[in-house]
Amino acid sequence: MKSARLPGLRSLRLALGAVRERTGATGAELYVKVGNTRRIEIDPWMATVTADPDDLQTQVSVLDERGWALRAGGASRALFLADSGPLPEPNGWRRLNRHSLRPGILRLPAARSGTAQSPAADTGEHSPDEEEAAGLAFLHDLLRRLGERMPEARLVRGRLDSGASAAVLASTTGVTARSGRRLATVELDFAASRDGRHGHCRLYRAASTLHLLSADTIAREIAERLTLATAPAPPFLPAGEVAVSPALGCNLLALLAPLLRGRDGWRRLRKLGAGHPLGPRQLQIVDDGGLDAGWMSAAFDDEGVPTRAVALVRDGEPGEPLLSWEDDGWSGFSAAGCRRRSGWRALPELCHSHLYIAGAPEPAESIRSGIVHGCYLLDRAHDGRCHATFEPSTNGGAGQLEEGRFEVDAIGLVIRRGTVLGEAPRVRLTGSLRQLLQGIRAIGDDLRFLPAPGAVGAPTLLLTGLQVEAVG
Amino acid sequence: MRSTANRAGPRPLLTSDVAAPADALSRLAAHGDQQFEAFFERLETVELLPQGAPNRLRVRKEQGLGVRKIENGRSRLAAADTISGPAFAACCDRVAGTARSIGTAPPRIRTGSWPALRLAELQRAESRLARAVNRRRVGFPMEITARRHRRQVQVIRSPIAAPPQFEEYFSLQVTTPWGVWGGLLPSLADEDLDPVALCLVDRLRSRGLPLHRRAPGVIVLGPNAAAVLLHEVVAHALEADTLGLSGVPDHVVGLKLGGPELDVVDDPRSAPLACKRSSDDEGTAVISRWLLRRGRVRQPLADLAWAERCPSMIPGAARRASRHRLPGPRTTHLELLPGTIPERDLFAEAVGGLYIGEFDRGNLDPLDGRCVLRAPCGRRIGASGPVDHTGPIEIRSRAVDLLAAVTAVADRPLAGGAGWCAKDGALMPVWARCPSIRLEGLQVAD
Repeated sequence: MKSARLPGLRSLRLALGAVRERTGATGAELYVKVGNTRRIEIDPWMATVTADPDDLQTQVSVLDERGWALRAGGASRALFLADSGPLPEPNGWRRLNRHSLRPGILRLPAARSGTAQSPAADTGEHSPDEEEAAGLAFLHDLLRRLGERMPEARLVRGRLDSGASAAVLASTTGVTARSGRRLATVELDFAASRDGRHGHCRLYRAASTLHLLSADTIAREIAERLTLATAPAPPFLPAGEVAVSPALGCNLLALLAPLLRGRDGWRRLRKLGAGHPLGPRQLQIVDDGGLDAGWMSAAFDDEGVPTRAVALVRDGEPGEPLLSWEDDGWSGFSAAGCRRRSGWRALPELCHSHLYIAGAPEPAESIRSGIVHGCYLLDRAHDGRCHATFEPSTNGGAGQLEEGRFEVDAIGLVIRRGTVLGEAPRVRLTGSLRQLLQGIRAIGDDLRFLPAPGAVGAPTLLLTGLQVEAVG
Repeated sequence: MRSTANRAGPRPLLTSDVAAPADALSRLAAHGDQQFEAFFERLETVELLPQGAPNRLRVRKEQGLGVRKIENGRSRLAAADTISGPAFAACCDRVAGTARSIGTAPPRIRTGSWPALRLAELQRAESRLARAVNRRRVGFPMEITARRHRRQVQVIRSPIAAPPQFEEYFSLQVTTPWGVWGGLLPSLADEDLDPVALCLVDRLRSRGLPLHRRAPGVIVLGPNAAAVLLHEVVAHALEADTLGLSGVPDHVVGLKLGGPELDVVDDPRSAPLACKRSSDDEGTAVISRWLLRRGRVRQPLADLAWAERCPSMIPGAARRASRHRLPGPRTTHLELLPGTIPERDLFAEAVGGLYIGEFDRGNLDPLDGRCVLRAPCGRRIGASGPVDHTGPIEIRSRAVDLLAAVTAVADRPLAGGAGWCAKDGALMPVWARCPSIRLEGLQVAD
């Protein structure tokens, strides 16, 4: 079956005209998305790996997705309507009428120069049988390599998704945009038992194409994590320096995300510094919707607003806030395309696309080997805590994030002068968000992105001033 | 006040003759080991956000189909976001691996019209809930998002077409200055909104209180909380795919998990009125399934694939989150049969203990059987029943220890504890009917 094709802009404009005519809406926007996904799930209760990839017990799903969303209305009445299948013909909007709009508000971005020059989307399905065979070979290779490294590792859940999607957007304000994206994700849960100690490990990795995912690297990461998770607890944990891997750094940055978007986030971020720098001069935190080679990279966001790199923290100081077009010009800052839809059923929402701590020139290896007496934390613990807590407000509510604290359960190693003294199957890293940023002492050169949702990236970080304690 | 929900249901999902796709599916099987199944689905969610929200009314509709081939324990699914003869034929080609697998002419497949939108009951939800709260002599700001969910399903497993299924239910999300409450309701009538108001008032009175750290000797769980506990430690624990992770699923039959007062049944036919099911998402007739009979495992939850692997298992508990997901064994409507102890006596023997009316979160580790349940608040039990409010409570325990701690079951079951089950990231509505229960000797951890 050929993949569904996107309608042309002319079809969208005709549909918009029909919607306006029938509903009396002053403005309207249509968003159409098509996609295809090939999903391979491994049966955990049967996964005995043989030499032949065809012996792998898997469930394969080939999914075609197609849907559209309409926003119509004006200053006092509005409607959001989403449906699967192809976009109706201009005479297919008969069910809509003036009563379809209900009290509410619709605001749409105005056209800007450049939106009409959107890049063409790449929607094609590339040799699906080859892609499926490549997916099966990848999973088989991964299980085989992990079996060699750690025979006691046991699959709990394994899923590989690869696919492509394309979208087209048009509104009555003149905004038009097209986008296309390819993505492959692998989600793996493993468990192991050693000497009566049980450990879990969960990995979620993504890349633009399956060929960019390395089975050997992922197998090594799983074996490392399971080894640490099933190790005996150390008798003593040093409380000095803590180096965190890019994987854990991504989790820490994801906790900070509410500080790094919108007007409220900006106010909190400014307050967090309290007149002092937020972090060291080499600290740069960026959100870039158009990042080269990023999974989410697009010239426009899902409302057709151009994306750009926004330096949220520049040289350790608050840079500029991530603002949507509705807040353009607030406090003298410019907006960026940052409103995204999680699918055709969803309305666009302010969110990050590629949020990352930019890498610095210092080699990551020298950060790890330079730990005098501390911990190198590799990843968050499978079923442990990972959240930022909020100060209670006067009325007992959840309160706000500024002045908040965070806690993350992690697995790692105890290190003294570059030598591994022991393993730490679960430690709890806690502190205030201010300490987290101001305590950054070194930033490595090994920037890496993980799916969070969106993409969150971090290099190896050396942190001080945080509390580390053994748990469990 | 009676619900205004239309219990008659809409026109059938497929208005064309289901024999045509059934006949096409029967032509696909190359040999006896192959089974083919078509799943047709239509979903509608109407969402009304609080006043002042942009795009306050949100209507989401979707329909589509999936064709699945099952052969030697492996399945292959092809799904499309439209219902039509050509889409059905294309999906058949994909699972069969050949072009024109069902012949040159695709079968004629037509769908019925969508049911009417009916917004009035969603619009009235806010004022009704506010009245229910005010009846308890309190008032506070609330932002209410009300949703109505409808789902129509038709399964054709060559050569049989199961009866079409229709479900309609509601979900509410109430945002207050001290947190968010969310849950499922069979209707937005006063009798279903009243328990929501009770939960909201309990949360108001326990706002700002610290985490409850003291381990009480006795805990009484109200019907809602008991339903969540049983969902985690009985239903999830006895799903064949969960059991398959740690052994052979049918080996648990006969295992003693709790005391003789525990009789737990999964019966989709006795779910709330508009959510009753006569067949599951594989087209198999559902049964009243004894999960626990006098505390012993009787019949785990199984779908066709697990029933094929373990011959002693009975299929009929397959559910799928959407046409894009494969089915798996899941609970639909859990019932704890009532005991003989009046609720008053349940509390009388629990003075000094803790009453938990609801859990807002639950999780079961499928490998080691550890369970975590979180309650947003609780109440100390005095001589007259639940009295002072406490802060949040977290219970961490092994599933078997939780069941072994149940020492009494009250005599009055109530519908409650409905919610979204999110196992493996697939959201499904689940329903329950339970009496209050008493637990003794549990650990309450931070």
